[in-house]
Amino acid sequence: MFLLLPFDSLVVNLLGISITVLFTLLLVFIIVPAIFGVSFGIRKVYMKTLLRIFQWATLRIERGAKEKNHPLYKPYVNGIIAKEPTSLEEEIKEIRRSGSGKALDTPEFELSDIFYFCRKGIETIMDDEVTKRFSAEELESWNLLSRTNYNFQYISLRLTVLWGLGVLVRYCFLLPLRIALAFTGISLLVTGTTVVGYLPNGRCKDFLSKHVHLMCYRICVRALTAIITYHDRENRPRNGGICVANHTSPIDVIILASDGYYAMVGQIHGGLMGVIQRAMVKACPHVWFERSEVKDRHLVARRLTEHVQDKSKLPILIFPEGTCINNTSVMMFKKGSFEIGATVYPVAIKYDPQFGDAFWNSSKYGMVTYLLRMMTSWAIVCSVWYLPPMTRQPEEDAVQFANRVKSAIARQGGLVDLLWDGGLKREKVKDAFKEEQQKLYSKMIVGSHEDRSRS
Amino acid sequence: WGSAPATSLLSLAVTSEQIEHLHRRFKQLSQDQLTIRKENFDSIPDLEFNPIRGKIVHAFFDKRNLRQESDGLADEINFEDFLTIMSYFRPIEMNMDEEQLDRFRKEKLKFLFHMYDSDHDGKITLQEYRNVVEELLSGNPHLEKESARSIADGAMMEAASICVGQMGPDQVYEGITFEDFLKMWQGIDIETKMHVRFLNVDTIAHCY
Repeated sequence: MFLLLPFDSLVVNLLGISITVLFTLLLVFIIVPAIFGVSFGIRKVYMKTLLRIFQWATLRIERGAKEKNHPLYKPYVNGIIAKEPTSLEEEIKEIRRSGSGKALDTPEFELSDIFYFCRKGIETIMDDEVTKRFSAEELESWNLLSRTNYNFQYISLRLTVLWGLGVLVRYCFLLPLRIALAFTGISLLVTGTTVVGYLPNGRCKDFLSKHVHLMCYRICVRALTAIITYHDRENRPRNGGICVANHTSPIDVIILASDGYYAMVGQIHGGLMGVIQRAMVKACPHVWFERSEVKDRHLVARRLTEHVQDKSKLPILIFPEGTCINNTSVMMFKKGSFEIGATVYPVAIKYDPQFGDAFWNSSKYGMVTYLLRMMTSWAIVCSVWYLPPMTRQPEEDAVQFANRVKSAIARQGGLVDLLWDGGLKREKVKDAFKEEQQKLYSKMIVGSHEDRSRS
Repeated sequence: WGSAPATSLLSLAVTSEQIEHLHRRFKQLSQDQLTIRKENFDSIPDLEFNPIRGKIVHAFFDKRNLRQESDGLADEINFEDFLTIMSYFRPIEMNMDEEQLDRFRKEKLKFLFHMYDSDHDGKITLQEYRNVVEELLSGNPHLEKESARSIADGAMMEAASICVGQMGPDQVYEGITFEDFLKMWQGIDIETKMHVRFLNVDTIAHCY
């Protein structure tokens, strides 16, 4: 009764054959290279073709806009107001000089002193550095994803067709392929590490564990069509060190771990993540914390120190910003990992937003939505730079060391080095910062006031 | 958002691009509501840096600055009010004549005057002056209250001598009036300094 129509069996057969072909192709071109760590270069060709298509699309939009004689909607990147670069002291000196002719070293408060703070305040109200960093970086050319396009009305018919094709390709071809790969990767990871966990401790176990991890991460990398360029691989982290990188998305872990064998640090989650975490720790010693332990900084520091001091254990992978930043800047590093006293291997990761924006705005998207967005983008293109190792000098404290590492990472990745705390995305400013500016000003006024009263 | 009356906005002589920028900013601060309250300014982390943060935020809700007839504080402001406050910080234009420049300058100085004069009585008393100095010098844990006070007192005496000249021993200086305030700012080109310039972005911002 199922095969009522004569060509039904034909359809079923065709379906069966195409699925077999698909899976064979999958195996040969994607999974086997992943196991051995080689690459056919298919992704690079794909990337070049895409770039050419994007350029064409952008030209069409610009032409369309010119025809209709409208200005193009190009988003700005640098902020909307010109902030005066003068410092507190310079400005107050200048105002006082032009006013009552008194210099800064006369210790009085002037009515006009309020002016500098007033203007700075209005400037930040109009446009502030920190909030900008938290929305996705804005593009200059269109990458055929409707989520990044603001110029819809200038698209011609040809371009719409191309965009439609793009949607078809991404959702009907790439997405199922990627989901299949991801599924394969994760299940291999869980089963592989569990099996390896049954082996007795020794060189064999370590060898197998390393390769199981690497293989599965490489499959996941291909599941996202991530095209990664590694620079300076001779600086890769070694045992007993801490690997520190800037954080843009959860994918950072996969990117780094597919090129090196690390011990992860993090909180144990429930659900699928928890299953993966528990399986991984059977094969090699990752550092997972219970939710209650995470708050206890001393406990965390102690466990990390123990891990690091054991030279046979793997380098730890830590993201000190604490939250995902939109990859145009590097925010303040939390000092915890820098207090431990191990060698720090900084790594800079920079994503190319042209193919897909990897930034996870956790207040806007949940994890599943985010992963779906990633899997329906064209590709994830990024560069990873391994920087030379750094150690804490005797005269610096943990915070200064953290800032030094942060500057190195920001400079290498071409990101802006910001003082602000990434945690600000959700919390309020710590009081310590409020005092800095006030201290500077009061030092200026009071310091000299005390001199005068003494003389 | 086209409900803002065009006439009052024209008088601000800001370009439509700049108004769109400011409107985006307003929407960001108000979290897509039509009005802003004092609490909305808490979402600007950079502002915490500023010792007179309280006075600046207060200035946005001060009815004298909003050019309203009544006195006191508003609870919330809409986009038009926001633009009104921002207009105190617009840069001078090349084609302004003497009278316009003078009015421009007075407006900006009035804004600063209102910052000092927190009880709205038209005078900056010694107590109000002390408040401002204490706020500016607050947050320095090593500074004692007495030091801040004596600095303020010294400055107030200085101000009195500029405004009233020599005072007799029984004379009490009630406070700095706006005319006296103007005298103290003589020589300072506030109109060229008290502005925020827009970057020359030659394209328009997003449309939602």
